[in-house]
Amino acid sequence: MKRLSWVAVAALAGTALFAPRFADGGLLRLAAEILLAVGMAQMWNLLAGYTGLMSLGHQLFVALGAYALFETTQRLGIAPWWGLPVAGLAGAAAAALLAPVLFRLRDAYFAIGLWVFAEIGYLLVSKSSGLGGSGGRALDVSALEDVESFQAIGFWIAAAIGIGMPLAVGALMRSRLGLALLTVRDNELAARSIGVDVWRVRFVAFVISGFGCALAGAAYYMGGMFVSPDSAFDINWVVMMMFATLIGGIGTIAGPVFGVLVWYALRELLTTVFGLQGGWYLIGMGAVAVAASLYAPRGVWGLVARSRGPKDVGAARPAKSDALEG
Amino acid sequence: MDWLATVVNGALLGGLYGLFGLGLALVFGVMRVVNLAHGEFIVLGAFLGVFLVGLLPQLPPWVLVLPVALAGYALGWGLQAGVVNRAVRSGNPLTPLMLTFGLSVMLRNAMVQFFGADSRAIDGGVLTTAGIDLLGLRIGLYPLLVLALAALLFGALHWLLRHSEFGRVVRAVADAPEMARLMGVTPARVFNRVMGLAIAFAMLAGFLLAQRTLFTPFSGVERMLIAFEVVIIGGLGSFWGALAGGMVLGIAQLVGQKLDSNAGPLYAHLVFVLVLLFMPKGLAGERR
Repeated sequence: MKRLSWVAVAALAGTALFAPRFADGGLLRLAAEILLAVGMAQMWNLLAGYTGLMSLGHQLFVALGAYALFETTQRLGIAPWWGLPVAGLAGAAAAALLAPVLFRLRDAYFAIGLWVFAEIGYLLVSKSSGLGGSGGRALDVSALEDVESFQAIGFWIAAAIGIGMPLAVGALMRSRLGLALLTVRDNELAARSIGVDVWRVRFVAFVISGFGCALAGAAYYMGGMFVSPDSAFDINWVVMMMFATLIGGIGTIAGPVFGVLVWYALRELLTTVFGLQGGWYLIGMGAVAVAASLYAPRGVWGLVARSRGPKDVGAARPAKSDALEG
Repeated sequence: MDWLATVVNGALLGGLYGLFGLGLALVFGVMRVVNLAHGEFIVLGAFLGVFLVGLLPQLPPWVLVLPVALAGYALGWGLQAGVVNRAVRSGNPLTPLMLTFGLSVMLRNAMVQFFGADSRAIDGGVLTTAGIDLLGLRIGLYPLLVLALAALLFGALHWLLRHSEFGRVVRAVADAPEMARLMGVTPARVFNRVMGLAIAFAMLAGFLLAQRTLFTPFSGVERMLIAFEVVIIGGLGSFWGALAGGMVLGIAQLVGQKLDSNAGPLYAHLVFVLVLLFMPKGLAGERR
């Protein structure tokens, strides 16, 4: 990575370190939300942008992580952040179990297949009184010494996820597996012909994606200290991840980061400046997604990356060639 | 006997589910696009029905099937001509997905804004409460008629695709769009009509379902998932498989509801998972 990027990352991490000292609670909460959204969008992009598996069911992992953390915290009577690894592992395990079934479906059918599993999770959690039922449940904070510092720790965790995940994906792309991912992204047939095990590459990306989304989801609801099935299994999680990735630039590392910033900027713009209420705001977001799919299908970052040439490992996916498929 | 009636009613409900899936499968088969706003159009059909029933209270509700279907055809045609063709041309499979997903978010929330989020139903008049006794089973006349109508529509579409000029053109475009273009066919125009048909089926089925079940603007998601499950259970690309898939889901849902009230959809989803696990090619298998 270029030196400039490292300076930016270091500045961001430094700001995050001291942010709880000078920022008020509301601002800190918004910043944590944005950072976690960056992590989730990055994980969605890892799957959709690099392996061509678009998911409409990633809310399953968000919710799974949240419930795993809440359950672990309560069962073991430990501080909530110790539940984070469990949450991540739960997401990874779910992805590993679902992959063999779901990989039989292609393209949109994979996307909706995962959505069905998210719906099953929603219905099961809503019915099970042990997990709080449809009303939701509060986080067990009895193991915490003071709730004041808990907010700061929650923010630092969010910052670690929001800054760490794009870096981790960047590092992954430089590894052997990352190269395989890039070949699968660019041309699946060519990847197969040079000996890339496409199924295995997809599987690993799916498991990492499930792990990361569950971790970010758990951190989000840990910060809110309350989770309900309606909120955790909300399809709007996927709307956000997909919007951010596609607006920013699919198959790039900077794209989802940029896209999340656009998403939150639009949200603030539509709700505060234009004063749009909940429903109208979502209609506006839908309209932006429609317009983006028609006029900038490779995202804003995709346009930038193309003008810089193909040196960036995260460069946007080239127009698909039909020559090999026909 | 009670159980048998549940199964029969489930199969009848399945006729409607089959129609949900039919539109989705038709669009996918011809232009390789999964319309993620399909469920919202199903709900839109129901809202249009509410509107028309209020406007023309002297007419029996079943007469309104025709205007709802025609409106669906016009909407589908306009949707395809206006935006979806553009996305299909991009060649990237993610583009139409994002487009229709954005549309579904818009439509869903627009319906909340205009009609409110309350549950509603359409009063179908005497027809929905009438029933006939068959070998000691009480079967609603309405679901029976709906199933007959669904079978009729399946048959009509099958005939249209197999034996008409339009059907030959549609199949040609689905199989080899470039070759069809060389023969003087404009794929985009064919797509417009196909989307018109698909949305007409969706809105008609949504209108009919609304006379049996409550709906809200948020019901679209569940309806779309059902439509999708119908297609997978029936077997991708299989025509009559979709009708069978609809029946399997309808039965699963009503039996589930009987076992555990308010958990009907859960059982339908679980049946889908079982099919995916043990019969990944669906009931009809893969034809190719």
